[in-house]
Amino acid sequence: MTTKPVVAHSEAAVYVYEAPLRLWHWINALSITLLAITGWFIASPLPSVSGEAIDNYVMGYMRFVHFAAAYIFAVGFLFRIYWAFAGNHHARQIFLPAIFDKDWWGGVWHELKWYAFLVKEPRKYIGHNPMATLFMHLMLVWGSVFLIITGFALYGEGTGMDSWQYALFSSWVIPLFGQSQDVHTWHHLGMWYIVIFVIIHVYVAIREDIMSRQSMISTMVSGWRMFKDARDVEDKP
Amino acid sequence: MIETFYDVMRRQGITRRSFLKYCSLTAAAMGLGPAFAPKIAHAMETKPRIPVLWLHGLECTCCSESFIRSAHPLAKDVILSMISLDYDTLIMAAAGHQAESIIDEIIEKYKGNYILACEGNPGLDEGKTGGMSCIVGGKPYTEQLRRVAKDAKAIISWGSCASWGCVQAARPNPTGATPIHKVPDIGDAPIIKVPGCPPIAEVMTGVVTYMLTFDRLPSLDRQGRPLMFYSQRIHDKCYRRSHFDAGQFVEKFDDEGARKGYCLYKMGCKGPTTYNACSTIRWNGGLSFPIQAGHPCIGCSEDGFWDKGGFYDRLTSIDQFGIESNADDVGLAAVAAVGVGVAAHAAASAVKRAQQKGDQE
Amino acid sequence: MSIKTTPNGYTLNTGGQRVVVDPVTRIEGHMRAEVNIDENNIITNAVSSGTIWRGLEVILKGRDPRDAWAFVQRICGVCTGTHALTSVRSVEDALGINIPENANSIRNIMQLSLQVHDHLVHFYHLHALDWVNPMNALKADPKATSELQQEVAPHHPKSSPGYFRDVQNRLKRFVESGQLGPFKNGYWTNPAYLLPPEADLMAVTHYLEALDFQKEIMKTRTIFGGKDTHPNWTVGGVPCPINMDGVGGVGALNMVNLNQVHQILKDTKTFVDDVYLPDILAIGKFYKGWMYGGGLSSQNILAYGDIPDKANDYSLENLMMPRGAIINGNLNEIHEVDLRDPEQIQEFVPHSWYKYPDGVKGLHPWDGVTDPNFDVSSAKGSKHHIEELDENASYSWIKAPRWRGHAMEVGPLARYVIGYAQGHEYWSDQINRFLKDLDVPVDALFSTLGRTATRALEAQWAADQQLYFFDKLMTNIKNGDSSTHGGELWDPEEWPSEAKGVGFSEAPRGALGHWIRIKDKKIENYQCVVPTTWNGSPRDEAGNIGAFEASLMNTKVERPEEPVEILRTLHSFDPCLACSTH
Ligand code: HEM
Ligand code: HEM
Ligand code: NFV
Ligand code: SF4
Ligand code: SF4
Ligand code: F3S
Ligand SMILES: [Mg+2]
Repeated sequence: MTTKPVVAHSEAAVYVYEAPLRLWHWINALSITLLAITGWFIASPLPSVSGEAIDNYVMGYMRFVHFAAAYIFAVGFLFRIYWAFAGNHHARQIFLPAIFDKDWWGGVWHELKWYAFLVKEPRKYIGHNPMATLFMHLMLVWGSVFLIITGFALYGEGTGMDSWQYALFSSWVIPLFGQSQDVHTWHHLGMWYIVIFVIIHVYVAIREDIMSRQSMISTMVSGWRMFKDARDVEDKP
Repeated sequence: MIETFYDVMRRQGITRRSFLKYCSLTAAAMGLGPAFAPKIAHAMETKPRIPVLWLHGLECTCCSESFIRSAHPLAKDVILSMISLDYDTLIMAAAGHQAESIIDEIIEKYKGNYILACEGNPGLDEGKTGGMSCIVGGKPYTEQLRRVAKDAKAIISWGSCASWGCVQAARPNPTGATPIHKVPDIGDAPIIKVPGCPPIAEVMTGVVTYMLTFDRLPSLDRQGRPLMFYSQRIHDKCYRRSHFDAGQFVEKFDDEGARKGYCLYKMGCKGPTTYNACSTIRWNGGLSFPIQAGHPCIGCSEDGFWDKGGFYDRLTSIDQFGIESNADDVGLAAVAAVGVGVAAHAAASAVKRAQQKGDQE
Repeated sequence: MSIKTTPNGYTLNTGGQRVVVDPVTRIEGHMRAEVNIDENNIITNAVSSGTIWRGLEVILKGRDPRDAWAFVQRICGVCTGTHALTSVRSVEDALGINIPENANSIRNIMQLSLQVHDHLVHFYHLHALDWVNPMNALKADPKATSELQQEVAPHHPKSSPGYFRDVQNRLKRFVESGQLGPFKNGYWTNPAYLLPPEADLMAVTHYLEALDFQKEIMKTRTIFGGKDTHPNWTVGGVPCPINMDGVGGVGALNMVNLNQVHQILKDTKTFVDDVYLPDILAIGKFYKGWMYGGGLSSQNILAYGDIPDKANDYSLENLMMPRGAIINGNLNEIHEVDLRDPEQIQEFVPHSWYKYPDGVKGLHPWDGVTDPNFDVSSAKGSKHHIEELDENASYSWIKAPRWRGHAMEVGPLARYVIGYAQGHEYWSDQINRFLKDLDVPVDALFSTLGRTATRALEAQWAADQQLYFFDKLMTNIKNGDSSTHGGELWDPEEWPSEAKGVGFSEAPRGALGHWIRIKDKKIENYQCVVPTTWNGSPRDEAGNIGAFEASLMNTKVERPEEPVEILRTLHSFDPCLACSTH
């Protein structure tokens, strides 16, 4: 192999993820984790407990945690949308992938090749790389929208036909999918969609932290992006 | 002499005084001034029983059977004193062309003023069944249905057949069975769906008597079901709900939990996704309902309940992904694939990194 | 015009006037009948057609066998439950699953309650108007009616003149309203109606009483199965647990709801004994001269048997309703019927709207094929307006089942004749008493009237046996067995990769069989051969006519434009068309 030696080099750090976004990131991660765990047990409950019904509330708590986390998740998501407007340039990225920009697609392509070990070096970004943006947009943004809409449609069934949840969600979502049981199925599939996102996302975050030309995990903790070399970045703001 | 609505009410022990009061309330409810009360009273005292044409399509006649199980009111009283059941091939004395001519007569005499009660649905498949999977008088049932629907004041879609399609519309629906509201050229009479396989007797007669008593259609939800009976799920009012919340489930038939009346969720109960009145009004004069007798609800009042996977499975099966899969099978398979992919990729990355490190040195 | 003789001995003459009845009403489902009558108004050719098809056998393919009962139960809401029972039996047979004793008793009570209910409703609400003229009841003297009532059924409490006057007044008001509802356009001036006004009023009164009472009968099924119609069943037992004395017993079968079952069973017996049976005799007396409609009943009859006394034993000795076949009227030889034998039961389709891959050969139901093929190209009229069917081509949605090539009649009459020939004690006593009361010879059974009468006798027997099984259930519980579901082989993972089975029952209308093939935990093939498939069958390849058609032959129709005689005889079978084609 005739690779050029990688020069270990550091460049000035850039403040990319502002505090509210970082806070959202970790709250969001936590609520999704809770939602997936409780969602699983809503669908396949734990073995029966014995004793009087009144002394137990296993399923009740399971659902309560699910709904509480769901509200945090949904409100967080609304906040995140607000922050896309209020925050810095990077806060908009996952909502607005530059799909009409040919160069941007070139970036996606390059990143793909990097993951397929076809290029020897990834490009260098201050914000998300184009593939990450696309991936987050498709899986996390739309996955969240889907789970929130179907989730609240299911929730509205419990709060009743005269509730705002029913009026806003259940009333049109249920007939759209067929019937209530279908909404459950799709909501459930939505969970797996997000779970897949999380698996890949966490893997990639760790991998990039190690292998890319910039810092990752620490960035989502501190907000500062550090670089491992001094060459130009692709996404000059 | 025609027994009018007033007569019926009198016979059921309602005094003239409360009858008149009822008329003024009705006037008020209809947004009319008190001056209209006597007019309503007059109409009620002289109005003939409303003609009902009860058509049978592709069906099992169970809706009729359910109807006659009604205790309040008795089916007998509905038929003799509340409506005029002028056509119903199940019980009518006339047959053949004498039966069919009644339809022409009623349409002509009561244009826009009769009710079409549909049990079952038409088969629209024009292929192997030639549109003739249900024949009446030598012609497709679909023709009879359209003709009667056109001039009806309102249409009642009895049961899951008329409302959703039901068993004959289950995959692969060999006859092209189609619920009433989806039949092309059905006209625009309002359609009231009373789903269930069959619907509860008292719900059926309840809907009819509501319409006669208040002279208006019941309030319907977005999908055309009367709010009064179909706005909540079995699960919302199920008496086993405390066991659901507690996490106490029947794990198999006749186990300890079953004998104690635990929740049937794990046995596939569709109560959480089924809009019907079973857990409150119950069946056969309020006696019981499926869950009370130990069997999970199969969701018989829901659209397409036949095609949502096994009745004893909580999760719907997803046929698109091959046999025997549900959301978890699909999800876990996908997660496994992704997991393997990630692991392989991580390994490859580690190898690559080791190489690079080697190169650097 | 053509004249030909069928292999089963009927001379069909297609000359003369063709009379069409479509729809045939007061039956379940859709049916058409056509007959030719000669110059003396005698029927010389009969054609019956099932005019509805839904395709349940097609729909069942690929489904979970444990769910099949719910699908096939929707074959019919009138004989609701009998298909479900037959279905769970077929799966249990295929997989070798045993059910607990209590489940057997409960299933039997449910099946017997259907017998009583279906027969009662059939007689009063579907059949009676062929014999009873409600308009004539207006002329009755309530006092005379009261006397008649007290004479035919001294125990029945509702018998005062005032009671009958009330009913008559209500009827009067109804008729005078000009809105005749279900009685509109009946053949009320036809001389075929023979009852005196008193009997008409009594019968109309019981029409209403029976309408009120029938809903009580089925309440037992609501207690055991959660609802009626369409109660719940399970492969391996029954869904309702028993908990007489333990924690949570209030949510299971307990003393309260079993007491309720007991009361309903007793009331049912009283109603059948005091109303249904006496009415049959009272009405029968006036019609015993009308001996048409025997058809195949004196020739070829078939029953599969039902009501296993002990659980899981379907042998002849253990079945309280008999199994057997009688051929060519030879009552001395009762053939053993084997539902598994490919040579015995076969279905043919040359005159039905189906096609078989290899043509006209009959198929045993395990290898059965259901592939629709509607075709009326040789009928008179057009595809969407049939004026006259062509019985030489395909003309019905009903297949033609045959037993060793013979067209067979099934149903209460077939069962009773086979039981009588086998010396079934209870049934023989009933028949002998009935013949004596009516003062008619045993041959009189082979008629429209005989069919209607044996149905009533069977209701009486069934009402009694329900009480027998109730006692059995209670005794078994007392002896410490409260199991209602075995749980054995519930999990499909434990099933063999392939299995086949057959379930059978005696449905109200006759012998019912479901044949199932299971492959990889799914239904590979499911075929139903239903009572009305037998009775309403069209011609087969050899030209044999079916039971409906045979029974109409040689009947005199007083007024061809008001063919009440055709209705009468067809109704005596209690046709169920949703069942017949499924
Ligand atoms: C349920 C779990 C998680 C979800 C749904 C999630 C979601 C997200 C989203 C949406 C972003 C983009 C932030 C933005 O631009 O708005 C992001 C970024 C990031 N996440 Fe997560 N995350 C999760 C868990 C984690 C975990 C466990 C880690 C650490 C191991 C992590 C590390 C990161 C990093 C490093 C970034 C920044 C990536 C970059 O700079 O391009 N995430 N995450
Ligand atoms: C990451 C987001 C979420 C995940 C992974 C998730 C997962 C799940 C799963 C797996 C189920 C069981 C579905 C089934 O019946 O098979 C479920 C049920 C449910 N979820 Fe979510 N969910 C999420 C978000 C939400 C949101 C935002 C809401 C809104 C309130 C919500 C409300 C519900 C409700 C009402 C149920 C039904 C509970 C029941 O049947 O008792 N979920 N969820
Ligand atoms: N034929 C028939 Fe049925 C019966 N009895 C069933 O198997 O009626 Ni609906
Ligand atoms: S809705 Fe169900 S019960 Fe009613 S006719 Fe259809 S199949 Fe029968
Ligand atoms: S038995 Fe069914 S409806 Fe009742 S609480 Fe349990 S899941 Fe809900
Ligand atoms: S199965 Fe049907 S009868 Fe009621 S409890 Fe469920 S909706
Ligand atoms: Mg069949």
